[in-house]
Amino acid sequence: MTLARTPRATTARAVRRAPADLPFVFADRGLVQALAAERDEPGWLRDERLAAFAVFDELAVETNQLYTPYIDLRAADLFTVRPFVRTASASTASGDADADAAVVPTGTSGLIELDEDGVTSIGLSEGARARGVIIETFGAALARDAAGFRAELEGGALLPTTDKLAMLTRAFWSQGVRLSVPDGVSLDEPFVIRWAAGAPDRALLTRTFVRLGKGAKVALVEDLGPSRRPAATAATGGQSLFTGTLEIDLAADAELRVASIQDFGPSQVVLQHRQAAIGAGANLHWALAQLGGRLVRSRVDNRLEGDRSSVEQVEIVFGSDEQLFDLTSYTRHVGRDTTGNILSKGVLLDAARTYLKGMITIDKSAIGTDSFLGEFGMNLSKKTRSVAIPSLEIDQPDCRRAAHSSSVGPIDETQLFYLESRGIPPDEARKFIVLGFLEPVVARMPLEDERERLRDLLEAKWNAGLESAAAA
Amino acid sequence: MTATREIVTDRREEFAFHDDIVYLAETKRGLSRATVEEISAFKNEPDWMLQYRLRAYEHFLKRPLPTWTDGLDRINFDNIVYYRKPSEREEKSWDDVPDQIKATFERLGIPEAERKFLAGVGAQYDSEVVYHSVKEELTKLGVVFMGTDQALVEYPEIFRKHFGTVVPAEDNKFSALNAAVWSGGSFVYVPKGVEVPLPLQAYFRINGENTGQFERTLIVVDEGAKVHYIEGCTAPIYATESLHVAVVEVVALPGSKVRYTTIQNWSNDVYNLVTKRAHAYANSTVEWIDANTGSRKTVKYPSIYLRGENASADIISVAVAGKGQHQDTGAKAIHLAPNTKSRIVSKSVSKDGGRATYRGQLKVSPGATNVMASVRCDALMLDDISRSDTYPYIDIQEDDTTMTHEATVGKISAEQVFYLMSRGLTENEAQNLIVQGFLEVFTKELPMEYAIEFNRLVKLEMEGSLG
Repeated sequence: MTLARTPRATTARAVRRAPADLPFVFADRGLVQALAAERDEPGWLRDERLAAFAVFDELAVETNQLYTPYIDLRAADLFTVRPFVRTASASTASGDADADAAVVPTGTSGLIELDEDGVTSIGLSEGARARGVIIETFGAALARDAAGFRAELEGGALLPTTDKLAMLTRAFWSQGVRLSVPDGVSLDEPFVIRWAAGAPDRALLTRTFVRLGKGAKVALVEDLGPSRRPAATAATGGQSLFTGTLEIDLAADAELRVASIQDFGPSQVVLQHRQAAIGAGANLHWALAQLGGRLVRSRVDNRLEGDRSSVEQVEIVFGSDEQLFDLTSYTRHVGRDTTGNILSKGVLLDAARTYLKGMITIDKSAIGTDSFLGEFGMNLSKKTRSVAIPSLEIDQPDCRRAAHSSSVGPIDETQLFYLESRGIPPDEARKFIVLGFLEPVVARMPLEDERERLRDLLEAKWNAGLESAAAA
Repeated sequence: MTATREIVTDRREEFAFHDDIVYLAETKRGLSRATVEEISAFKNEPDWMLQYRLRAYEHFLKRPLPTWTDGLDRINFDNIVYYRKPSEREEKSWDDVPDQIKATFERLGIPEAERKFLAGVGAQYDSEVVYHSVKEELTKLGVVFMGTDQALVEYPEIFRKHFGTVVPAEDNKFSALNAAVWSGGSFVYVPKGVEVPLPLQAYFRINGENTGQFERTLIVVDEGAKVHYIEGCTAPIYATESLHVAVVEVVALPGSKVRYTTIQNWSNDVYNLVTKRAHAYANSTVEWIDANTGSRKTVKYPSIYLRGENASADIISVAVAGKGQHQDTGAKAIHLAPNTKSRIVSKSVSKDGGRATYRGQLKVSPGATNVMASVRCDALMLDDISRSDTYPYIDIQEDDTTMTHEATVGKISAEQVFYLMSRGLTENEAQNLIVQGFLEVFTKELPMEYAIEFNRLVKLEMEGSLG
């Protein structure tokens, strides 16, 4: 298979690419074998990777026919990338409180930072350690509890087995993080998981598991940004690939708040899969901010399995230059009296594009559902493009609400007029309105530092956009 | 309330008959190059049309069956009779229509409707148009309303200028099929500045078992002119499928106004796969008023391409999906010019295991500045064995578009039913009335006789499930 594919690597860039053609060639069976051998993985794990590869190899990039007209991977040029294969092993289970104190910032319950080479820091707060929380890499989890970890991982865990790119990560991940919070543990201060990537011509494929026991309540900040290695830039031409999962399992009555800031460099291609199985009475809150990357393709699956479970998902996109954000969200209501509230907002400058695809599915079993999906866009330049496909598939009419709403419009002239009449200069007023449009995610950041950092990032991007508009 | 009950008397039996007619000509079952040549030869067509048909046939063979909607693979294209000719020629006087066919349309109430208020009537029986009339004063004004086949002979220039320009044969698999085997349909031409005061109307009837009806309608409305066209359709119930694959092309020239109303009531063994599209030029208005209560499966998204400045589009689509039915319907508005407006309203009802799907597209292309667009989809589900889907595609490529989209799905509110029952209605009557109210956005756009007819159809669809 390696041999058969190699010629395509050289011709692929020369010939005209179809929008759904894969932009890389590294993923072959040989690499699976090499990964497993290099890392000395047990036979079952190699087989798990091979099973994923077999599915990956069969599937089309988009298997949902509703979305095949809106896929475009042509901005990605990853034909020369080589994935990282080395693993790192680290765990808070083997660490101690003294080491922790040095790395865990005040105001957090724990931290793990990773880059292409492995774990750069890891630690837990005293409170989290005392309550039995563990943060560990997949390597450490395998060493600590091989049978338990195998049960979690085998068969693909929560990843959708009809999704080619999810199967890519399942087959080729090199780094994995696992956060587990025992039953009944409630911590106000958030955990922080920080991934850094961006080396030119390299691919970093990662998975993250989050497990909350019954009644556990915690918050998680996910920080995705450029690494300290020489970053890929438009000038070097060598793009970088990051794939990441967030596979969340919430037991009954658990509550998780996830806040994510994605601020990778301009030559980063990002593939994300976030899956959540939400148990009875459990609540999940997502606040997701997408700012960086050349091409971002992300998918969120919320499975409201337990009765009375709920999910709230707020996602913002602030795009500029030629960025493309291709974001899909599936929310499936299975249990009774479940609640879903999904909101996506995009602001686009220059020639940026968003494809916002949202699907609400109400199964026949899901009596008493309340579900809302909103997709809103603001196109601020003539070359931008907003696509919204908010869909409903409903098998149970006995619901509290099943609706979606969508709008696209320019900056509201009456709001602008109001602010200007209060003496605010037009440029400032426009900035206020745009940043206000995105504020719902900013306000949901659980850490004050993160909240301020996101505000600064958004404002900086706005100012950069103004400068480029003035230059043009 | 009394009026409601009178409206909804059950006359379904009256449409369910079929005639044992001896056809003057028909093609063999199935589709081949020879079938296409045979149809063209029957019609004595110019060579360019034969060549057009053959190119379309080749494209039909090449084009895969759409897989984004399900169940189309159940159509057995080899078991369909593609052409059946019931009558020698198109008659202008009702008395000259063959007795058996005349009897059919009289049972459907066609001449009665004409006497009442229509400006013109056309009737198609299986493959051929059997009757057309247009009021004398309109003829004097130059309004043309005739079978499409006849128009190819009598108005070759207008015909060739517009035929296939709005819906090319290669547009999709079924437009290719229609282009290969088309027969019948209406041709309408309204000259500059002429306003047709009353609706033009066409009736389509499939009579034969396993018959395909492939009518082709072309409506050209010249500058500043105005017309309303209404079509209705019925078929008897056989246990085997029939196929209705129509193409409708509307050309709305600058400043014109066109309204096209459809009440689709095919029997539940008809696959109804229709491509309807209009080109709206500067300052024109195009309206599709489209209702689907019949057929086993309907795939139809009336479309408007807003090609000239200040053009405006209005699409109302309603669907009722009962047992064994899938109504895959919707609308498309494609904005290609500045200052254009569109409004899409969709209402669907699903019940007894039926499935109603809204599929729509709203697109604002680069250059189409200052667009205003709205889409509203509401779905009512009457039980939990039915299904409702909503798939809107919204694609905005300008920075000053104002677009809003809303969709809701729900059931009949128990409070409303209770209120009506406390006023003396039975539960069935109460639910029927609520469904009629839900669909009123459509019915209020119809001439009164049609509104009554439509409410009656809805009532028929509601029968059995709620009684």
